[in-house]
Amino acid sequence: MSNVLRPYLSAVRSTLTAALTLESFSSQVVERHNKPEVEARGSKEVLLNPLTISRNENERVLIEPSVNSIRMSIKIKQADEIERILCHKFTRFMMQRAESFVVLRRKPVPGYDISFLITNVHSETMLKHKVVDFIIQFMEEVDREISEMKLSLNARARTVAESYLTAFTS
Amino acid sequence: MILLESHNVIIQTTLTDKAVKPSYLDVLFVDFDGVRFHLSTPEKKTVVQLSMNIRSWDELAAYGALDVLRREYGSLIRAQTEPEYNISLDIDLEQLPANEASREAFIKSISLLKRNALAAPFELAFRQQKTLEASGSSLGDLMQIHYRDEEAIYVRASPDRVTVIFSTIFREETDRIFGKVFLQEFVDARRQPSIQNAPQVLYTNRDPPLEIRDVPGLRDSEDIGYVTFVLFPRHFAKPDVSYNTVSHIQLFRDYLHYHIKCSKAYMHSRMRHRVAEFQKILNRAKTEVATTERKTVTGRTMVVR
Amino acid sequence: MSFRKIDVDAYDEDVLHESELYEPDPRDSAQVLSDTKQQQAAVRNSLNKGDITGALNIALDSPPYGLGVEEAKNLALQTVVSVLNSTKATDIPNVLRSLAQNEQDTLMKYIYKGMGMPGWGDVSGSVLLGWHEKLTEVAGTGCIVRVMTDRRIV
Repeated sequence: MSNVLRPYLSAVRSTLTAALTLESFSSQVVERHNKPEVEARGSKEVLLNPLTISRNENERVLIEPSVNSIRMSIKIKQADEIERILCHKFTRFMMQRAESFVVLRRKPVPGYDISFLITNVHSETMLKHKVVDFIIQFMEEVDREISEMKLSLNARARTVAESYLTAFTS
Repeated sequence: MILLESHNVIIQTTLTDKAVKPSYLDVLFVDFDGVRFHLSTPEKKTVVQLSMNIRSWDELAAYGALDVLRREYGSLIRAQTEPEYNISLDIDLEQLPANEASREAFIKSISLLKRNALAAPFELAFRQQKTLEASGSSLGDLMQIHYRDEEAIYVRASPDRVTVIFSTIFREETDRIFGKVFLQEFVDARRQPSIQNAPQVLYTNRDPPLEIRDVPGLRDSEDIGYVTFVLFPRHFAKPDVSYNTVSHIQLFRDYLHYHIKCSKAYMHSRMRHRVAEFQKILNRAKTEVATTERKTVTGRTMVVR
Repeated sequence: MSFRKIDVDAYDEDVLHESELYEPDPRDSAQVLSDTKQQQAAVRNSLNKGDITGALNIALDSPPYGLGVEEAKNLALQTVVSVLNSTKATDIPNVLRSLAQNEQDTLMKYIYKGMGMPGWGDVSGSVLLGWHEKLTEVAGTGCIVRVMTDRRIV
């Protein structure tokens, strides 16, 4: 892990750990329903204060806790047009596979690139610290993946251009 | 395979097969830029007819495509062109050269049919450049080849150079951005000492270059790009170099888009791999649920449905 | 069809209102603002003397919360951020250890608030992240949980 990123990720880690104290909670509005309160927004008293962790305007995490679920949204750094499109492709690719990533939300919260929704069911069937590990690792690698994809695109473009132009001189 | 080949592989392999074992055939296929081919044996097994339809035939014919094809194929060209096609060749399999090497060369030259048709405006421009240089007059005519629905090649000769401009459309946002990266590299690559002699490349997005600014009906939108190649006499002075340059520059658009698609495919395979990795990490978080077989008193197994 | 969209629960007589979630501040908004201004002056004074702990103690005392005191809230955030920005990284753990628990919680609230508005005033992400890390080491995750659950938003 790079040293610049470490305080950011450790802040996300501790906040997530704190927020992941979930229990089963039946809806107070509809009988015999049990739904993630952070999505339903049915009753105010079970929603906790949302917290933001940010490095700068372009890199931030929003954690919205509630009694039986938390929603976490990530905004990934996008320096230019290429990174923007690569980031969009990558997050979309993942979200289309949300079924197998049980904690992934199918749509990001407005203003963010990707969102996770962790409910009490997830925290009961999965180890809490491993789920946190997963999210932290995701944040670490998504940045790296995008910059690597950008580099490989540039490298390919260079090779392509050179071999095309070299053919003229031969 | 980084560079694309300018001959048509289907024509080449089919003719090579049929030269050995003639039989009836009727094949329709397409090449780059929507060029359609029809290989058939309308009269007898041993005479194969090859017809080609090319979108911009009228323009090409005006720039002397027929002359180029007559020079290349001579008596092979049928007087009666097949309906719906622009040119037809008759290849008599019994008249093929007996010698293996020259037969291969002959078949190869037939598979270059599209390349030769498209070569006409370039060859014309190269000739014009010479006369302009000798006479010292200013500019040649602007030749337009609308080789695709919305895209065109513009060729113009000047006393000291020939300018070739491609207009290209990027249908998708991703293509547009990837295209920009690629074209930027084309512009930058010439700084390398080893390819200093390559034609100069210029790239503009949206705004057409000066040479074609007054052409009517140009599209004005974000997704169009113009690539200009400046060919100097050293690129077409000698016949073999000129031949190379022509076959090469024709395929520029296909080459660019081919590689954009390749990059997208590569990105996808990367993402697939990365997502599989993430999946593994998440699976590590799942707790093992011990599944023991539960039985009722009578000995039947309870199954979770 | 519009009757289907009416939220009948909103008309319940024991419906919960935002303001019932916490005890309101006994001071009125003008009082809060003038208190905060006084605090800011006192904090500047302490900072000039180099007394970081003292400055932080004053800044975190009786923070403005609740509705209708936006100006005082922003002023208080500015005051806290100015203290945080002028502390050397090596001093942070000692300063934090000397704070009482409720002060630590209030500081955490301000850190999250500051991170929620990056680029505002002289808020700097890396400084706040540094403080957040140290504060979590000293006060534990319980501190973060208290920030999430405390309705008295600063």
